[in-house]
Amino acid sequence: MDGHPNLREERPAYNPEIVAFCCNWCSYAGADLAGTTRLQYPTNVKIIRVMCSGRVDPAFVLKAFSLGADGVIIAGCHPSDCHYINGNEKTAIRGDFLSEFIEDAGIESQRFRVEWIAGSEGHKFADVVKQMVTELEALGPISEESAQ
Amino acid sequence: MMAKKEVVGAVLVVGGGPAGMQAALDLAESGYKVYVLETTPSIGGTMAQLDKTFPTNDCSMCILSPKLVATGRHENITLITNAELKKVEGEVGRFSVTVTKHQRFINEDKCTCCGICAEHCPIEGANSFERDLAPAKAIYVPFPQAVPLVYTIDKGLCIGCGICEKFCEANAIEYDMDSEIDETMEVGAIVLAPGYQVFDASKKSAYGHGVYANVVSNIEFERMLSASGPTEGHVIRPSDGDVPKSIAFIQCVGSRDAQTPNSYCSSYCCMAALKQAVIAKEHLPGLETTMFFMDTRAFGKEFEEYLQRAESEYGVRVFRNNRISGVQQNKETHDLSLSFIDAADISEETFDMVVLSAGAEPPEMSHKLAEILKIKTNKFGFCETDELSPVDSSLPGIFVCGAFSGPKDIPDSIAQASGAAGKVAALLSDQRGKLVTKKEYPEEMDLSNQEPRLGVFVCHCGINIGSVVNVPEVMEYASKLPGVVYAETNTYTCSQDTQKKIKEMIKEHNLNRVVVASCTPRTHEPLFQNTVREAGLNKYLFEMANIRDQCSWVHRLEPEAATEKAKDLVRMAVAKASRLEALQQPKIPVTPAALVIGGGLSGMTSALEIAKAGYEVHLIEKGKELGGHLRTIHSTLAGVDPRRTLAILRKEVLHNENITVHLGNTVEDVKGYIGNFESTLKDGEKIEHGAIVVATGAIEYEPTEYLYGKHPKVIRQTALGDMLSSGKFDAKSIVTIQCVGSRNDEHPNCSRICCSTAMTNALSIKKDYPDTEVYVLFRDIRTYGFSEENYNEAARLGVKFLRYDPSTPPKVQADGDDIEIHVDEQFIEQRIVLKPDYLVLNAAVHPNPDNKALAQLLKVPLNKEGFFLEAHMKLRPVDFPTDGIYLCGLAHSPRLIDESISQALAAAARVNTVLSKSSIEAEGVVSVVDEDKCSGCGTCVEVCPFSALRKNSDGVSEVIVAACKGCGCCGATCPEGAITMTHYTDQQLIAMARAALEEG
Amino acid sequence: MTDKHQPPHGVKVQADVSKERKPKIVGFLCNWCSYAGADLCGVSRFQYPANIRLVRVMCSARVSPHLVLDLFEAGADGVLIGGCHLNDCHYMTGNFHTEKRVGLMKRLLREAGIEEARLRLEWISASEGEKFSKVVTEFTEEIRRLGTSRVLTDDMMKVRAASADNASETFRLKALIGKEFNLLNKGNAYGDKLDPEKLGRIIDTAVVDEFERALILELAGIRPMSVKQLGMVMDVPTDRILKHIVLLRQNSKIAMEHSEGFTPVYRTVATGDER
Repeated sequence: MDGHPNLREERPAYNPEIVAFCCNWCSYAGADLAGTTRLQYPTNVKIIRVMCSGRVDPAFVLKAFSLGADGVIIAGCHPSDCHYINGNEKTAIRGDFLSEFIEDAGIESQRFRVEWIAGSEGHKFADVVKQMVTELEALGPISEESAQ
Repeated sequence: MMAKKEVVGAVLVVGGGPAGMQAALDLAESGYKVYVLETTPSIGGTMAQLDKTFPTNDCSMCILSPKLVATGRHENITLITNAELKKVEGEVGRFSVTVTKHQRFINEDKCTCCGICAEHCPIEGANSFERDLAPAKAIYVPFPQAVPLVYTIDKGLCIGCGICEKFCEANAIEYDMDSEIDETMEVGAIVLAPGYQVFDASKKSAYGHGVYANVVSNIEFERMLSASGPTEGHVIRPSDGDVPKSIAFIQCVGSRDAQTPNSYCSSYCCMAALKQAVIAKEHLPGLETTMFFMDTRAFGKEFEEYLQRAESEYGVRVFRNNRISGVQQNKETHDLSLSFIDAADISEETFDMVVLSAGAEPPEMSHKLAEILKIKTNKFGFCETDELSPVDSSLPGIFVCGAFSGPKDIPDSIAQASGAAGKVAALLSDQRGKLVTKKEYPEEMDLSNQEPRLGVFVCHCGINIGSVVNVPEVMEYASKLPGVVYAETNTYTCSQDTQKKIKEMIKEHNLNRVVVASCTPRTHEPLFQNTVREAGLNKYLFEMANIRDQCSWVHRLEPEAATEKAKDLVRMAVAKASRLEALQQPKIPVTPAALVIGGGLSGMTSALEIAKAGYEVHLIEKGKELGGHLRTIHSTLAGVDPRRTLAILRKEVLHNENITVHLGNTVEDVKGYIGNFESTLKDGEKIEHGAIVVATGAIEYEPTEYLYGKHPKVIRQTALGDMLSSGKFDAKSIVTIQCVGSRNDEHPNCSRICCSTAMTNALSIKKDYPDTEVYVLFRDIRTYGFSEENYNEAARLGVKFLRYDPSTPPKVQADGDDIEIHVDEQFIEQRIVLKPDYLVLNAAVHPNPDNKALAQLLKVPLNKEGFFLEAHMKLRPVDFPTDGIYLCGLAHSPRLIDESISQALAAAARVNTVLSKSSIEAEGVVSVVDEDKCSGCGTCVEVCPFSALRKNSDGVSEVIVAACKGCGCCGATCPEGAITMTHYTDQQLIAMARAALEEG
Repeated sequence: MTDKHQPPHGVKVQADVSKERKPKIVGFLCNWCSYAGADLCGVSRFQYPANIRLVRVMCSARVSPHLVLDLFEAGADGVLIGGCHLNDCHYMTGNFHTEKRVGLMKRLLREAGIEEARLRLEWISASEGEKFSKVVTEFTEEIRRLGTSRVLTDDMMKVRAASADNASETFRLKALIGKEFNLLNKGNAYGDKLDPEKLGRIIDTAVVDEFERALILELAGIRPMSVKQLGMVMDVPTDRILKHIVLLRQNSKIAMEHSEGFTPVYRTVATGDER
């Protein structure tokens, strides 16, 4: 595996792959609402549903990069909205840690984001994906050694 | 006359807003059949229209939506939407209820809510949900998260063109339905929760609502702020779409207003408007928000802090003492100007927009309800209740909750709703469990040692998926994935015939895992889980791929890329599904007894209601006597005699054979978890119980200011009450100072009850001693709800109200036996000197100092003031995060007698939901600790907000399955990787991530 | 189409030659009645002005609003539609639908600012050769009196005509007009016959809405515009414009481009552009 996602012929340039860990109660619902309101965003994102963003072990994020992800999003409820009282506070702390760690590993900081997306924020979900795809397209593929 | 009346174990709840839903859920969970009658096509009430909620700025829909789904799906709740009450016969224990259902002209079982009908409907009309900001189609769903999630034809708007029928692939549209049908049901009790309606702001014509485009009502503004509202959360001027630079908020529109019938206070609008100002400023940095209050009524838990933050952090301008007389529009610019009082001057300013805080009115159906049910309403049209029985209507067996009994905010409505449920549960306790249904499933197949055999069902969803994603191609692709032995496509996978097909295919192909690629698990997972269960599979052997909401709908213009993504999503789901394991939901036995801590009004009320519902109760009181604060209260606003009530209540508690009273005792140790607590009392007695109610009350502040304790003429309001009731009152003039020990740096919040108390005392003085001068020195008068009437009455009887500013509080000087009070009056800007016979300090309610120790014992949180902190400030006002522990009364926050009683009944209802079950079925999705790997560091115990982890006798962590909610935070935290999160295991999630990144 | 059905070339028409451009008039005639009537007119040597160009269609109901409005957008000065008399339609009820469609076209012309009189519907039977010549003569006079269409000289008029054309193609208007006749005469899905006045009001509202929305999309497709600018150019109150924008945004047809100070500016989303 070359670490690069499927490059389809009709899409000449780089087609970044994003893995998004979405909490069930807010962000996954927000992604659904983007659908209900038929907002359009690029196909590059694949959502993995978890019950709480606090479930996302930092190792998952690193694993995703090592498997060839070009970007990773952890999306949870807004601060104080967590279905599990304060799971997202832990996400915030881990997010800060991960951002530093990833930069130290030579991966650009734009490749990892922690986003708070409420169940009513279909637009925000679509915007975050659009923005990140644009940024990743500008960055180009991740360097081989830092991905490991 | 019937020979013997059989009581019916079913309940009718009228209204499907937050209060109605709460009452329904509590009753359904306590073993009663519930019918929820809702006039609109969806449950949710006004809360569904809100953007955020105060004081936490929580997203309203985020917290409401799970409750909508829970209510809609509960097996003991039947929703009767788009319907109204027609006739009620019979009496308490056995009512015969007839309702009229207005047809939707949609077959609810067939409609998949795909929305293609509305997309093509050529008719646009008024939109009651989005107000005037966006049109509605004649076939519509009120909002995307509606429950039940089916479309409705608005017969008034529909021209019957027949287009929607042509487009509906589910054949759900049935024009030939009768437009209404009657249904009759038998119930033992009725709970009224029809809510309220918002005052029509255009009736106050001086404000120009409906005439000036940039004058909007609070609900309209709320929709504008909402990310899922018509403007997608953008605040813009309706006149020209410009972003406003300044917004004025006018309060008390249609409340506290003698020009309208609504002289009462609507209670929630001050906070709601403050929240709107804060959120608007968050949306538009630099926006100027100016608020015109008569008084700021931020009386609830942590509300005052919110007000202060709004002023100091967000820079919201706050003017008090203002009732704006009118708004003028500049015809050219559509800007709005208004005059207001600034200190002693009159100023005029121009604003880009004006938001009118329209108050609450009785619901439209109020009169009709009263007529059908023969219940009494007050002069405003709200349901009449008694201060000491706040959830009883004037007729036995008919209960009331929420704003129908008077304007109130969401948590008070929820508490009252649970309270009504508590009363009903006690009333119908003989019939508990008689009418509820429990679904039987076949025995689960033993799958051990079986290789995964997956079946994949790919849904066209009519044309919702099929018109974008190449469904046959995805199915073809899925059939070749490892482990997949069967794949097919369906027009609608959720249709009943496909459900049957899935079950047949499971049998025919020996499938042991099922993947459905269709819409979202948030709405459809339970349906499919049920199907696989019916075929003998464990419900956790099911996985969904969301190829509609998160694929075909959002990549409509890239069909090829969408098809590729759909394949990826199916591959991910298959990767997870092959690793799924059957999970058990252990049954945890419940000890049917409750421990109530605190023997005041709240504790006694709660204990009595639990006992009446048929459970054993241990009531623990630290003091030598039951009664708490109620013993010091002599009269209340409504004029009932608290002492008599106390005597009756005490007698009932002492004589109830289910209640054991432990006087002079405290709880020293608590072990266990929901259903299985074991507590040790100070005297050594050990009690086993299934639930706990915390009702430890609060204390009256002992002032250190205003010469209290140093001068005999300075007394607290309780002492004044004593004097008045014993007839020893003898004064020509008294002065009352409000907010003593509250709303200051140390205790920032409002004590809520003191303004009402001041009115009670002032009125009783004016009635018995009309010549006595009464002065009330206040900052804001906070007589919310109907107690505003008492404020008006006091003013009418000549009580003088002088407003002081907290920066220049009144000065009190002793002059021998006399006292002298200097106060800088804000309104007239004058220093006034008073020499009363008594200075009465309205002292704050402060948290019970014992709270800290008890909080540690129970592992439940306190807020920073020291009151107990509930699980959620809006929707779970009497729950703690830890299951099985509840709170009520002043232990929660300062509140009036009726509010304490409501909460106490609510806590009882919540306890009933636990104790009514012989066992609790735990979640299957829980954490599991590998004891061999656990080092006992305890990190997981700290991060768990539900106290669902503890150290066992071996010093390693263990999960209390009954308390675990399955969020998985502990697993992600554990440094040793010793915690597995079932159904979302590392292995499963990484397999998904790997599949996501694989070559297509 | 064969030549022998065309009016003979070179026929001199006795009419004033105006200073202006010669009016360009297109006539759509149904095969069975009006076209036959036009032929009879020729056979009987009834004279009429030469400005009209005729297009034969099988039924007048074939003439969709788009065909007509597209001609006006291209600068036609007048359009005549000729069909069989009511109840005489070769296709049973085709001309009843024609009547409804012409109603829509006229409404849209009014919105676009083009004189309704430039569109004329006439029932001409196969035996009414003389009527055909009379109608064409009168209509040509009328068009001459109205003068040359401003669409070719006034950019805004062209945009308005294009918007009327686009509006006529919206599902909403097509559906309403397509159903209008049956809803009034045969009954709706509930088996009720609609009150013509009520339905008329509904269609009027829909026409105004759809025209204004189409015009917004045309204008904001040329260059990004604010609500106030649109209001001024379209001469429509800005609060109405805003309501349209809210809806168009919800349907992803228009997007906020940027803000000029406190004024958001909107741009039409090009179809096929998903980002």
